[in-house]
Amino acid sequence: MKQIGGTNGLTRRDFLRSGLVFGVGAQALASGYAAVPDFLARAVLSAKSAGVQNDRVLVMIQLAGGNDGLQTLIPISSSSYRDLRPQLSAAAQKAQPIDKDFALHENLKGLKRLYDDGKVAIVQGVGYPSPSFSHFDSIRVWETADPARKQQDGWLGQAIVKNYDSLGHPLVGCACGTTSIPGALRDLQATLTVIDDVRTFGFQGGGNVENVMGTLYKSTPGIYGALFDTAMSTVRDTVAQLRTSAAKYTPRAAYTDKVQLVYSSKNQLAAALQLASELIVTGTGVKVLHVTLGGFDTHYTELNRHDALMGYLDSAITAFHDDLAAYGMADRVLIATWSEFGRRPKENASGGTDHGTASPVFLIGDPVKGGLYGETPNLAKLDQLGNLSYAVDFRSVYQEILASHLGVDARPILGQSFERVPFVKAQAS
Amino acid sequence: MTEERTPKTAKRPRRAPRGIRRRHVLLGAGAAAGALAVTRVLGLHHLGDFPTLGSPAETAKPTSLDWISPLERPEAQVGHLLRRATFGATPAEYELSVSDGFKKTVERLVEIFPAEPPALPGADEATREKPLNPLNVQTWWLDWMLKSPTPFAERMTFFWHGHFTSDLRKVNPQTPFIYWQNLTWRQMALTNLQEILYQVTIDPGMLRYLDLGTSTGRSPNENYSRELMELFTMGVGTYTEDDVRAGAKALAGWREPLTRAMYDVLVKNAQEQGRQVPKNLQPDIANTGVFERQRAYVGQVKFLGETRQWDTKAVLDKILSQDAVAPFVVTKVVREFVTDQPDAAYVKRLADSFRRSRYDLRTLMRDVFSSQEFLAPTTYRTLVKGPVELMVHMAKALETPALARSIAMAGNGMGQTLFDPPEVGGWPSNASWISSNNVLARVNFAQATLTGMPRIPAFKDAHLLHLDGVLSPATAQLLGASPDDATRWLILLASPEFQLK
Repeated sequence: MKQIGGTNGLTRRDFLRSGLVFGVGAQALASGYAAVPDFLARAVLSAKSAGVQNDRVLVMIQLAGGNDGLQTLIPISSSSYRDLRPQLSAAAQKAQPIDKDFALHENLKGLKRLYDDGKVAIVQGVGYPSPSFSHFDSIRVWETADPARKQQDGWLGQAIVKNYDSLGHPLVGCACGTTSIPGALRDLQATLTVIDDVRTFGFQGGGNVENVMGTLYKSTPGIYGALFDTAMSTVRDTVAQLRTSAAKYTPRAAYTDKVQLVYSSKNQLAAALQLASELIVTGTGVKVLHVTLGGFDTHYTELNRHDALMGYLDSAITAFHDDLAAYGMADRVLIATWSEFGRRPKENASGGTDHGTASPVFLIGDPVKGGLYGETPNLAKLDQLGNLSYAVDFRSVYQEILASHLGVDARPILGQSFERVPFVKAQAS
Repeated sequence: MTEERTPKTAKRPRRAPRGIRRRHVLLGAGAAAGALAVTRVLGLHHLGDFPTLGSPAETAKPTSLDWISPLERPEAQVGHLLRRATFGATPAEYELSVSDGFKKTVERLVEIFPAEPPALPGADEATREKPLNPLNVQTWWLDWMLKSPTPFAERMTFFWHGHFTSDLRKVNPQTPFIYWQNLTWRQMALTNLQEILYQVTIDPGMLRYLDLGTSTGRSPNENYSRELMELFTMGVGTYTEDDVRAGAKALAGWREPLTRAMYDVLVKNAQEQGRQVPKNLQPDIANTGVFERQRAYVGQVKFLGETRQWDTKAVLDKILSQDAVAPFVVTKVVREFVTDQPDAAYVKRLADSFRRSRYDLRTLMRDVFSSQEFLAPTTYRTLVKGPVELMVHMAKALETPALARSIAMAGNGMGQTLFDPPEVGGWPSNASWISSNNVLARVNFAQATLTGMPRIPAFKDAHLLHLDGVLSPATAQLLGASPDDATRWLILLASPEFQLK
């Protein structure tokens, strides 16, 4: 898999060197981008043996802002928890125990049901060495799967480039309910689809405008030229695809975005997952989907806000799972949550928590072997800064997703092998 | 309508707009399919003859083409400046600047005092009972972006809105704070960094957005302390976690002000529920944060290497004394206005001057626009307009200032809702604006705007005015083939060229 070089003897590195890297705008966008002329991207991708390894689909849900793991999977038997969190530990009383030590947040009712059915794996204490407390820096680490911060491409973007023909099938990787390509999906050579709202994803003015735009966005010069042209051709492919898929799909579960969040980014997780379901059940060839729920940066009055987020997350995931199950597709889809960090075990004066370190990752779906993995966080033994130590490298989780679920080679993406966390069932075929 | 009835044989002028010539076209490429469709784009049913521009050789494949910089021409220099230092120009603004020339225009933009927008009725009195309507606040600001006589000050206000960002969801429309923040950001926009940081730190919206307003010396909240250093001034890696904690202690003591209107609602609610209003609760006169000594941290802490009893101004001065600040802020400015990849020597030159000037923003911005790098051919069209810049420029090009509300509503689908950035780091930039979703939304906005206009202005030389006459083969061909001004406008506004600055 080392033919990234392409046909003209140009390597990706040459492009990076020749100054085509761009987009490192705000430090917020820690991951870089680079443009590659359209014709070269085509050559590179067509040179690859494009084979779909299996019919599995991955849905990543980003909990943006740093989800408080201790308020999600609550250590009910820990006296340290109550000592550190005199206010927030009120959540323990109403939580739903899964064993004598841990309980799921009271609003994670659907997830509790799925947990009891053996369809939820929770990996505890997930993090990485020398953790960053910066949102952007830590997001970049998770997105690129590279704590050394050398990698620019997203881990999912790399998985797509190395294993699928995204130029021929731009829906292989798709971000729903957002306007830009998420960092985890980003890769120099991947063609990706972004759909904010499926109801407005079409050309105003119809086919004539579409044809004109197809012509207008051809051979555009400049460093952004290929990006613009690819974006427009992706729009046209996607519009055509949605035209057929919309006719074949009716949701078989109740998705609702009518929730009162104390504050969060726009409430459309359920709509985004409903679109994800449409793309999956209508056979569009989608492999990797990414959706985001924001609002987890709970520095103040965390109780109400986190409660609302948990309830919303739970209802959206549950509807998604039930919808897939009703279509007989649940056995193909793995849902995984990720967040840039957990939060400080000790609560602050504002009734919230500051940036922390390790936290649990949730893996949901029929392909999952349910239960608790990783290590119980030790609240009695915090580090110098008052944070939890991590027990499982987040790349162990990625490795299991890539290798055991998607059936692709994880090593070229992660750069090395990690200890296995076997939360994916062995695949039948 | 009358045009439809025009007989086919009538000698209607069918000239391509002036200035679209081969030499502006970089390389020939076939555009026949689009040219066929282009005659019916707006549903105006133009019948008749098709493209007049000859079709160049079929499907010449592009090599790694770049835009040919026109920046040696004075009018292109001015166009480049107005696209980057303002939100693009109306024909009148453009002509004034062309006649003034580049240098004089830079001086005029930088030296002028920011014009205040008209007050937003009711905004000062926002309360739980009469919250701000977010769409109204967004429209109010966009309207001023379209109409302000000092568009550079507006552009800088917008820059600070992305840099020192806050979102109205957390700040909460039940207060006037986000509205006040916009007024403050404009007033401070072209002062100096010391003044700016103080205004930002005690801004009621910021006190709420980054939690300094609830931080106390006994139990400090780290949010503001961290972002002050990481995002506002120094950058990640230039301070330690201990500095974040020490800074949180040193800055604690501020609280939000309580407006008269908010106070009245509290009193009224208390009376209705038969509760006592706390005796010491009084409305504040100030529209900034209120410092309460008893909430502050008493004692010495070590912050950025120095141990002492701190106050807010001393913390900010300590930060401003760090070598990381000038390059950090300059890099952000340069990426916004000049190039995404500034070289180190350029940043250093600007940063040295910025620091020597005691962080004076007018000095910095004059240096930036007057720098050789700003007009270097390699910077031409290397920045991507954000949605607000794009749509405001469209409205200015169409001389239609009544579009503020449409722009406010369309921003969401392109990833830019004013006062509601996606994250504490502010807005994305450049390549991250380019996704299939956003390209479609941008094209749709152009189409919807033109369709909704009762009268579309004459196209004249819009491609020279707004695009310096530098067009891709496809754009040139489609413009040449367009049967009417409405179609020409659509091609221009939806073109990749117009997305760039």
